[in-house]
Amino acid sequence: MRKILLATIILWGVMAPSLQAEEVRVSASLNKRVVQVGEEVRLNIRISGANTNLQAPRLAQLAGVEAYYTGRASHIAFVNGVSSSNVEFNYTLIPRAIGHFTLNPIDVQVGQSVFQTEALEIEVSGGQSQAVGSQSQGPAQRVPSQSQMPPSVPQAVPQDQVFSASPGTDDNIFVQAVVDRKTLYQNEQMLLTYSLYTRYDTRYEGFDKEPETSGFWIEEFPMVDRDVPRETVRMNGKRYVKADVKKLALFPTAPGNYTIQPGTLKVSIREEPQGSNAFDEFFSDSFFTGGAFFARRQNRLLVPPPIQLVVKPLPENGKPASFQGAVGAFRLSATIDKDKVKQNEPVTLKMVIEGEGNIETITRPKVPVLTGFKTYDADTNSKLFQAENVIGGTKSFEIVFIPKEEGSSFVPPIEFSFFDPRQEKYVTLKTPNFPIQVEHSDQNFQMPQELAGNAIFQKQVKSEGKDIRYIDEKVPEAFSAHAVDWIYTILLWGDLLLLAFLLLLWMKDRQDRLFSKDQALRRRKTARGAASANMNRLKKLAHSSKEEDDVAFFVELEKAMIQYLADKWNLSTYGVTRQDLEETLTAHFGAEDAHLKDVFELYRLCDESRFGKGSVPQASKKIGLKIFQDTVNRIERMRK
Amino acid sequence: MKRLTWLLLIALWFAPAVCTGAETAKIFQEANTSYRTGDHAKAAELYESLTEREPGVATFYYNLANTYVRLGKLSRAILNYEKALRLDPRNGDVRENLRYTRGLLEYRVEDTRNWYLKATEVVLKYVTEREVFAVVLAVLFVFLIGGILFFLNGRGVFWNPWQQFVFVVLLLAALVAFGKQVQSNVIRDAIVMQKECEARYGPSEHDQVAFRMGEGIKVFVMDRREDWSRVLLTNGESGWVKDSDIAEVKV
Repeated sequence: MRKILLATIILWGVMAPSLQAEEVRVSASLNKRVVQVGEEVRLNIRISGANTNLQAPRLAQLAGVEAYYTGRASHIAFVNGVSSSNVEFNYTLIPRAIGHFTLNPIDVQVGQSVFQTEALEIEVSGGQSQAVGSQSQGPAQRVPSQSQMPPSVPQAVPQDQVFSASPGTDDNIFVQAVVDRKTLYQNEQMLLTYSLYTRYDTRYEGFDKEPETSGFWIEEFPMVDRDVPRETVRMNGKRYVKADVKKLALFPTAPGNYTIQPGTLKVSIREEPQGSNAFDEFFSDSFFTGGAFFARRQNRLLVPPPIQLVVKPLPENGKPASFQGAVGAFRLSATIDKDKVKQNEPVTLKMVIEGEGNIETITRPKVPVLTGFKTYDADTNSKLFQAENVIGGTKSFEIVFIPKEEGSSFVPPIEFSFFDPRQEKYVTLKTPNFPIQVEHSDQNFQMPQELAGNAIFQKQVKSEGKDIRYIDEKVPEAFSAHAVDWIYTILLWGDLLLLAFLLLLWMKDRQDRLFSKDQALRRRKTARGAASANMNRLKKLAHSSKEEDDVAFFVELEKAMIQYLADKWNLSTYGVTRQDLEETLTAHFGAEDAHLKDVFELYRLCDESRFGKGSVPQASKKIGLKIFQDTVNRIERMRK
Repeated sequence: MKRLTWLLLIALWFAPAVCTGAETAKIFQEANTSYRTGDHAKAAELYESLTEREPGVATFYYNLANTYVRLGKLSRAILNYEKALRLDPRNGDVRENLRYTRGLLEYRVEDTRNWYLKATEVVLKYVTEREVFAVVLAVLFVFLIGGILFFLNGRGVFWNPWQQFVFVVLLLAALVAFGKQVQSNVIRDAIVMQKECEARYGPSEHDQVAFRMGEGIKVFVMDRREDWSRVLLTNGESGWVKDSDIAEVKV
């Protein structure tokens, strides 16, 4: 930022002396010297070599001539380090009487010095009684290729109208939205022009609210601010500068009555009419009076009144079969790429439609059904342009014809119809009848690669009528008919099993965690299981006929009893004595308990088997087993 | 020997089904022939018997409905198309013929329900109740396997991201299943079977007529009172109709 500032100061330092150094020259000129009454004359006062910060010179009153200040323009140029500057002040003069008038030298103040222009002469003869704006049109836009377009009807934009300002509005500035026709045909072009009328130093800021034009296809004419045509016009006895700020071509898509809401334009007007300085001039971008960039400006919103339109339908009378909706004025030309081909070799017909109208809506002309050809849509191109106040363009269609049979043939004429709204009638154009010579070829037909999938003349598959679909005659398979039911059942049972298994796993996990914390509990809970296992083992031993198994039986029986009781009451399995057990049993069963005596009897049997002589009767084993089982059952019940 | 016993048991289990299947196929072929030859009355009778023998086969209802269309009994046709759709909801032929038959009806009811109700109905109509519940059970199966593996491996975190994902899917499937359950068993569809049916403001002949409907119109049964049912239409109208005037879409 600082660098930019420094560069600006240096630049200004270089510029300023060179500007001051140039010699000041003042001149005045008229665009015409001989005019009629009421005809405008443009007066230009040119000051060169001076600082551009100048006041507009004041014209002395001249009887019989009205004078209006219409703006200024400044130019600063640097060539080979030498600067030059020009300021021009423009005035419009309207003579009101016949005679010879002399404009006295006009004083121009440059700094402290006063310079004078030369005197100018005007010769006024009789003629127009009322002034009409001089035609100072801006450069019209032209596209070279469009010069071949049919001549267009001059667009009648009103020049001198009676304007009545709405109450409370400023009649020194207003906007008019004007259409070139209020009754038109469907798809016919209509020009909508926004004309700004002002008596102020005005800058057009664009649209605050866009126009509502639903039901219309719209094409906008490009407008460059500097090229906006402007002119001076007289309305209601006042003079205005008029500029056409926006132009739209509208094409109604359907007949009916329409109301176009033209939207809202935004402008800014300068509050200080004559203020000016070098910066203002340099940065000025107003298209009207060189309005200063840094001057104080006031924004205004201008709302033109709505526009009523009547869109007529296209006449049915005389409508050709080939008509597909094109409205305007068109020309048709056609060429083929070759007139000698082999069988099954493509010939391309190129049709070009050009002219005024909505070129985008033109559809491919219908190609007649041909027996000796296969026909394909190849390519479509369109180019749109704006010329003066008319939208037009070119649209080309390519159609590929593939001859199936040898011999002389011809590409048949193809019709294109449009409605010409000026003549109010339909026009039908035809392509020429192109003869072609088809030579024999053994090559089979093959769709050209670039056309594959682009055929337009194949018949469309379409419904001929409606009815119910036929019955299903396939015998339903049991599996497919009930597959879901079976899957459902399998999944249901599978889920139930898995759920049960999961619950078991969860319970076991919970028990394991409890046992890991409390060994006594684990022994107590697993005592019965261990006792049952021992019981089974003892039963096998009891049934054994071997003599050594008798001893082993009672040894194991005693061990099983001790292990069960030790587990149940958390005693050491190996350190526990018979006395400890007897005391514990007495404490739990009571000294007088009958079962206690049975347990003691069991111990006696065990001792007898081990230390006694002779074999132990089988009955003793049963008694021993019964006592063990009863003890286990008794204790288990006690725990409950 | 054990294997042989199992095979024998399986064969005995399926034997009645095979015998029945053969007989069903015979009747089905006969019905099809009757339809083809234009004997629609006989075809309807045979298809009716098939739907009684095998009530879970969509093809029988579909063919029966087609036969009723040919006989001009549109309400019966629509009822059987609806039943076929219950069993085979994604069958394009059934849907197309149902649409066509509805187009032949004298009365039409505009569907003014909210878009989300319509969308929910359309989505749920594309699946059967059994299919939805099978999906729920399948997801539950995966979830339970995950749980069992956790206990068998004896390490890891039970509520891991995989289990969380499966659980969310399970919840969603359960939600859809709940919706389908409501659609099938709470909002009961019925078809107007009479040529002209009067819906009244109350469940008696003395109550004023609320609106009239024609045969084939689909209604939702909201309430029952003795011989009367309170029905709701898709345009929001509701009224009481005689039970004999409507037939519930029930397979």
